[in-house]
Amino acid sequence: MDLIAGLLQTSILAGGVLALAALGEVLAERVGVVNLGVEGLMALGAITGIATVVAVPSPTLGFLLALLVGLLFGMIFATATVHVRANQILCGLALTLIGTGLAATIGKAYSGMPAPATFAPIAIPILSDIPLVGRALFTQNILVYLIYIVLPFALHHLMFRTRHGLDLRAVGENPAAADAAGIPVQKIRFWYVSAGAALAAGSGAYLTLAFVPSWSEGVVAGRGWIAVSLVIFAGYRPLNAVLAALLFGLITSLGFVGQARNWPIAAPFLSMLPYLGTIALIIVPVLAWHKVRRLMAAPAALGEPYYRDVR
Amino acid sequence: MIDLRNLSRRGFLNMGAAAGASLLLPKSGLVTPARAQTPLAAVAEEDAVIAFGHTGPVTDEGWTWSHDQGMKAVQAAFPKLKTLFVESIPYSADATRTFRQFISEGANMVFATSNYGDFLYDVAKRSPDVAFFECDGRSPLDNLGTYYVAHWYPSYVTGVAAGLMSKSGKLGYVASFPVPSVYSGTNAFLMGARSVNPNATLQTIVINSWFDPQAATQAGTALIDNGADLLFGIMDEAGYLQVAEQRGAKAVMWNTDIRRYGPKAYVSSIIVDFKEFYVNQVRQRLEGKWVPSGNILPMTGGVDRDAWGESVPEEVRKQADAARDKILGGWSPFAGEIKDAKGAVRVAAGQTMTEEELYNWDWSIEGVSGL
Repeated sequence: MDLIAGLLQTSILAGGVLALAALGEVLAERVGVVNLGVEGLMALGAITGIATVVAVPSPTLGFLLALLVGLLFGMIFATATVHVRANQILCGLALTLIGTGLAATIGKAYSGMPAPATFAPIAIPILSDIPLVGRALFTQNILVYLIYIVLPFALHHLMFRTRHGLDLRAVGENPAAADAAGIPVQKIRFWYVSAGAALAAGSGAYLTLAFVPSWSEGVVAGRGWIAVSLVIFAGYRPLNAVLAALLFGLITSLGFVGQARNWPIAAPFLSMLPYLGTIALIIVPVLAWHKVRRLMAAPAALGEPYYRDVR
Repeated sequence: MIDLRNLSRRGFLNMGAAAGASLLLPKSGLVTPARAQTPLAAVAEEDAVIAFGHTGPVTDEGWTWSHDQGMKAVQAAFPKLKTLFVESIPYSADATRTFRQFISEGANMVFATSNYGDFLYDVAKRSPDVAFFECDGRSPLDNLGTYYVAHWYPSYVTGVAAGLMSKSGKLGYVASFPVPSVYSGTNAFLMGARSVNPNATLQTIVINSWFDPQAATQAGTALIDNGADLLFGIMDEAGYLQVAEQRGAKAVMWNTDIRRYGPKAYVSSIIVDFKEFYVNQVRQRLEGKWVPSGNILPMTGGVDRDAWGESVPEEVRKQADAARDKILGGWSPFAGEIKDAKGAVRVAAGQTMTEEELYNWDWSIEGVSGL
């Protein structure tokens, strides 16, 4: 029974990184902008988080500053892609290169240095005593509750239950029509892309302030890319994105638990699981979502800059 | 053959080939000097340039940091000479370029603090008047020596403490790769534990990295979930120590004193210290006495256990230190009969493993699983 509890505990912790980054990417892609800079933004957030707690031992401040740094870089990216209408793929790759490079340079001084302050687990009374799943679900740090409960439900409500959500989805589906209906296309794109970037950087801070409390070059280790693929798998929906991230965390944890329990599977195969999982995540939507492809489809105007004068 | 701290994929693949080669040449100059020859000419201190090529950042508080302390000791001992160093050298042609750069900047002596193999040998062969050293190297040249630490002795000593402190008798090990450093570490640790608790077992998880805090954290968690209450490993960071601290388990670490990241969990650490070795070698180089040599720094002469952690009881300290004193007095714990994980006798009763066998250990003893 400890097996399940332990597995769940690490899956939730490991999946949180992906969930937050994926939520950010959902925001950007829903308004029609592909942000491939997630990997770089996560690196920036990770180093901002560590650098902050080294100076001031407050993980909350570290997380907030990481969001702010993400927002700033997101605004630069949004200016380039939304206002200047530069190629989104190229801008995203550039952002990844800038982000990882800059973070590595700043990070030199913090390399291998464990965070002096981190988000400590908070046990929710009564609930955390539930046998089996209590400890895993209700003895986590505050960011986990934010990422798994508050944010996805808030975003889901915003996107699918409010007038504003309808507007923002319209911007991603058909910006020309949205524009004709009086929706400020450029403004909505700009701010949602920036906010998405802030969440991506926040997931980097989650990585260094809650999950592995230290910075090292390459600490993000490709999770930004995995987050991008999760968004496609999740059909651009916040709740699905979080569940997909949790599934992915579970796959990663299985590799370690398998080794600890001496499952008769070679260690290299267990280490392969996350990568096999990524491939599966790319293939499954094509096959399994076939019937519901209209529901799970990408926003129609995804990746297309909007020019009012050529509509 | 195999590098302790950083192993490139290429190096990993070469492992098999190198293992084969070392079978053909059983005395590959590991402990004995490479070749008898005339020393390199003396160098005036103010003209000397000593270069260090590192595998990680000097701020890692681990392996590379320890080597950097050695460089600082050299600077203090010979204030007039010039030192150079480059961090995080990849295991690629960039390494060759970096070592060439050292030579073109006038280096008289180059220390590679990890196993760069052919990337280093190419440069060494072209610069016969420069002294080279390769850490954990196994292919000495006329101007290239090797050095490493006998970490299996402090691993045994901390293993004794682990055997006494573990309540479940289940020990966990966060391993990097299935390489000799890991085999000798796990085996020595469990042999120490079994000397006081014959039922102790050791479970390993291989994470395929020397430095991956995310993986080490998850591996440590999985080991504790599986019943282990004392962790050991060979990592350059404090990941599994922090897990042990949170979960009320204990941990033995590597490289440096990092008890502040888990003061209650910290048992001890395999501490490495290259200061004396570097200063001696540089002195020989300056005085014109340097010839390449193979060195395994002994316990107290480059490697040791760290001061015991606050949670280690007095009785445990005494018993573990008694084993340490016995080893320092010349006793070897690595004597037969030793069985491997399949139950076959690998070291017969009455036999003792040589330093070279310990250095090249590539099988698990009975009780170690997962490698």
